[in-house]
Amino acid sequence: MEREEKRLYGIMEMLLAGFFIAGVASQGPAGVWAGLIEIQLHPARLLNDFTLIGGEGAALVNAAFIAALGLLLVRVSKVRLSGPTVSAVFTIFGFGLFGKTFFNVLPIVAGVAISARIAGKSFGEYILMALFGTTLGPLITALAFETGFPMVPALLLSVAGGVAVGILLPPVAMVMLRMHQGFSLYNIGLTGGFIGVFGASLLVASGKSLPSVLIWNTGPSLLFVYLIPVVSTVLIFTGLISKPVRYLKDFAAIMRMSGRLPSDFMSTQSIRGSLCNMGVVGLLTWGYVLLVGGDFNGPVLGGIFTAIGFGAFGKHPKNGWPVMLGVVAACLIFGKDLAAPGPILAALFSLTLAPLAGEFGWIIGIIAGFLHLVMVERTGAWHLGVNLYNNGFAGGLTATLIVSVIEWYRSTHETAARR
Amino acid sequence: MKKKRTEFILHLISEVAHFILDADPSRMVISLHQEEDGLHLSLFDDKQRSEEELATIRKALEHQDRPELAGYYGSMAGYDMLGAARLDLIGWQIKAATVRDSGSGTQIDLWLGGDRFDPEKFSLYKT
Repeated sequence: MEREEKRLYGIMEMLLAGFFIAGVASQGPAGVWAGLIEIQLHPARLLNDFTLIGGEGAALVNAAFIAALGLLLVRVSKVRLSGPTVSAVFTIFGFGLFGKTFFNVLPIVAGVAISARIAGKSFGEYILMALFGTTLGPLITALAFETGFPMVPALLLSVAGGVAVGILLPPVAMVMLRMHQGFSLYNIGLTGGFIGVFGASLLVASGKSLPSVLIWNTGPSLLFVYLIPVVSTVLIFTGLISKPVRYLKDFAAIMRMSGRLPSDFMSTQSIRGSLCNMGVVGLLTWGYVLLVGGDFNGPVLGGIFTAIGFGAFGKHPKNGWPVMLGVVAACLIFGKDLAAPGPILAALFSLTLAPLAGEFGWIIGIIAGFLHLVMVERTGAWHLGVNLYNNGFAGGLTATLIVSVIEWYRSTHETAARR
Repeated sequence: MKKKRTEFILHLISEVAHFILDADPSRMVISLHQEEDGLHLSLFDDKQRSEEELATIRKALEHQDRPELAGYYGSMAGYDMLGAARLDLIGWQIKAATVRDSGSGTQIDLWLGGDRFDPEKFSLYKT
């Protein structure tokens, strides 16, 4: 392992340890333990804010544990800790605050491992799909705790369902990539939504209704309000601590990239330049939430941590602002409160479409953000909230629409010009 | 297994051909030499490129041990027609690559194979 990669492991381990300590300090060991149990046994469909269900400390510890598991899987699989895997670990952490638990991620990871075996591939070749594929964790907890079956059959059904989903994820994910051609970063969101629609339809067809849920913490503590600036500052500091001019140049070079999948900023530029980008993205998204008066709760921090993670793998300030502006424009035109759960999460997660702005310009970015807001308000109902990356689902559909129109226009325009 | 290999070769040819055709050449030649445990793909065009451009292509095709990218994003190779061709989608999936000025254009050689595969046996300029 190279020295810079070892250093990156050290930074990730330090952050996760910090989250764990902060969680235990804020709620006490007994409170965290009780909260953790509550979280594992609670339904996890959108939107279940774990900071209200188990407490902020328990939510942080839950997130830190499953992110640590993700980091361990990366290490054991001997794949590089770089942009894609860093973004996966940060995303797992973020969603550990409002949806992912040990119970609901393990069957999916096992299913992807089986899928790799069937395809004659190593687990390392499928690890990204395993880590991101935990988006469908809520389907496992829904089968276990919301169907009304007796406990043992419900648990067996949920584990079997999770493994089945994990087996399906890789083939579907690879086809979904071709739909938007890498212009939506949360491809597994599109994949999870696609599979989730089938899963939800099966549940409804069998007479199991899953009512919509909104558990949203409107009174977060100062820990949650200021966690992001602290983490972002640490990232910027570790990025620029030595040779700041050189790594600022790498940061500038990152901002010239479109961000289209797979843009591993850590590999194509530098780890330190990427850390700087991640920190800046964190501060900017945190600033946005502060500006609109949003709540720094589990889902919102989940959105910001996801944005931070993808600061190593596709997002930067230059390709991000147009799509967020598009979401804001849609909210203002349609009279939506920017701080309400749907719009604020749409703004944060709309950054999945950043590559569209990066490749085709800010006007396309604004259009993408606008369409994303109107789509994401519909798509959650299609899968009954079992797909945590609902914004990824809506984003993937939006990107597919825009990409197909641009591709058609360019090819017909070229044909006409040749005549 | 044969169908899987054929599909893979088609995607590689498609992605590299996309790259070559983006430069609007007058001529392009694709040559394939295949044996049981490996294959050699050669692509020629008539475009003169600067040393800097050749270095950029070499970097994109540079073999990197990135199974997590090859197994997932590598599946996009040869499919995405929008935007520029992306040779780095191939770099993670091949054994070796060379890029050189052939005198009348550019020659790109790709070698694929298992662990026993020795690319030294498969060079056009040695036959």
